[in-house]
Amino acid sequence: MTRTFLGYPRANGAVGVRNHVAVISVMDNCNPVTRAICQAVDMTLPVTTLFVRGQYGHDLEVAFNTLAGMGRNPNIAAVLLVGLEEQTTEEVARRIRPAGKPVESINLQPHGTINAVAEGTRRALRLALAASAARRAPCPVSSLLVGVECGGSDTTSGLTCNPTIGAMADRLVGDGGSVIISETSEFLGAEHLFAARAADQAVGKAFVEAVTRLEREAVSRGMDIRGTNPTQDNIRGGLTTIEEKALGAMAKAGTTPLRSVLAYGEAPAGKGLHFMDAPAPAVENLTAMAAAGCQLIFFGTGVGNPIGNMVAPTVKVCGNVNTLRTMADNIDFDASAILEKGSKAGSVGERLYDFAIEVASGTRTTSELLDVRETAISRFAPTI
Amino acid sequence: MPRAIVLHRGDNVATLIDSGQSGETCTLQGESAGEVVLLQAVPFGHKVCVRATPAGGDVLKYGQVIGRAARALAVGEHAHVHNVESARGRGDLAEGRP
Repeated sequence: MTRTFLGYPRANGAVGVRNHVAVISVMDNCNPVTRAICQAVDMTLPVTTLFVRGQYGHDLEVAFNTLAGMGRNPNIAAVLLVGLEEQTTEEVARRIRPAGKPVESINLQPHGTINAVAEGTRRALRLALAASAARRAPCPVSSLLVGVECGGSDTTSGLTCNPTIGAMADRLVGDGGSVIISETSEFLGAEHLFAARAADQAVGKAFVEAVTRLEREAVSRGMDIRGTNPTQDNIRGGLTTIEEKALGAMAKAGTTPLRSVLAYGEAPAGKGLHFMDAPAPAVENLTAMAAAGCQLIFFGTGVGNPIGNMVAPTVKVCGNVNTLRTMADNIDFDASAILEKGSKAGSVGERLYDFAIEVASGTRTTSELLDVRETAISRFAPTI
Repeated sequence: MPRAIVLHRGDNVATLIDSGQSGETCTLQGESAGEVVLLQAVPFGHKVCVRATPAGGDVLKYGQVIGRAARALAVGEHAHVHNVESARGRGDLAEGRP
């Protein structure tokens, strides 16, 4: 029997696990108005950003595509864009419209702040009223695209939370769903094992090239990446080298074949497991996953990293008994039974899969309820 | 008695899942059994050397190379950034890497 969750079926066939109106800043100077509108209207989510003004070429394309990707995300019922002027706002709007949801905009020129907040609030209200008519219905788990991430890692990550997430990922892929793993730098030292899982030679080659390109860049800058990756808190948590961190990080991808290699924020074309070539730091990586359409993200942590994504609810999984005590407020799922009770990652992962269905059906996460959420789009070139 | 997990038979380090004091005996679990006397305090989650390793020798965890010994490692020694170093992404080293 096909396993289901209670989701929001969308006009384009996608399924949301949440039902929000995204208020999206087209550039950094719009953020204050975005925040003011979201304070005024329930059901809205502020998607703020830095820069965009002064970006050009590939770097600007990534910014537009990422903002639009978060708007297209199935968790979003409707979008209100907050822009400075019409033309740039339209660059983002035209990328969201194909998703078939309402897209409205408010520009600061020529309204000024007070009138833009007032008119934006009125439009957000109407969008939220219409969105609130949506009802959850049983939907197949195969409609889920899930991101797997780790941050604030330590040696318990590779032993507990990441293998638990990997077991959950295997179950989801087995039921016809999809998974994205990313964080290119965190494959240094484990890439040979992951490349061997590629569905075909071209995918394996593209994956190895992404890792090689990153390492070549680090080496060409003449710098030692130690202290940056692993980070100082990783090192305090017992991780000695990037190789050790990578071998533990890879566990969250489970064991299924690697189907494709994606660019920053790119949506996968097919089902199964995918790799996204994107920087590892959590906020910018989660942003890319949400832009790719992930409805949920599973985030393994060791010494603790509380941050979640604005659009894709982020489930914090931890197996470090100390962190489960000191940062209990920020953890959604306890995987410590692996070290403390000798439980197998497969059985703890089975429980996490059950919890995934609950969260997809509406159970909230700590980062949602505490609003511990942030957005950052990676930069690939300087601004002019 | 602090516990340490050996993840692969060939590994020369084990990960402590309790904190251990200098001189304490640590029980090995997982893919190996036995005991190791800690030569220094080893914090929770840090590694202890379980097989003598020469300077420059591979350091193995998960049955994979996680770095090389910056100097000889004795059984019971805390193995971490002070005596194990990464071989990857090292722009500070001579050309030719990776």
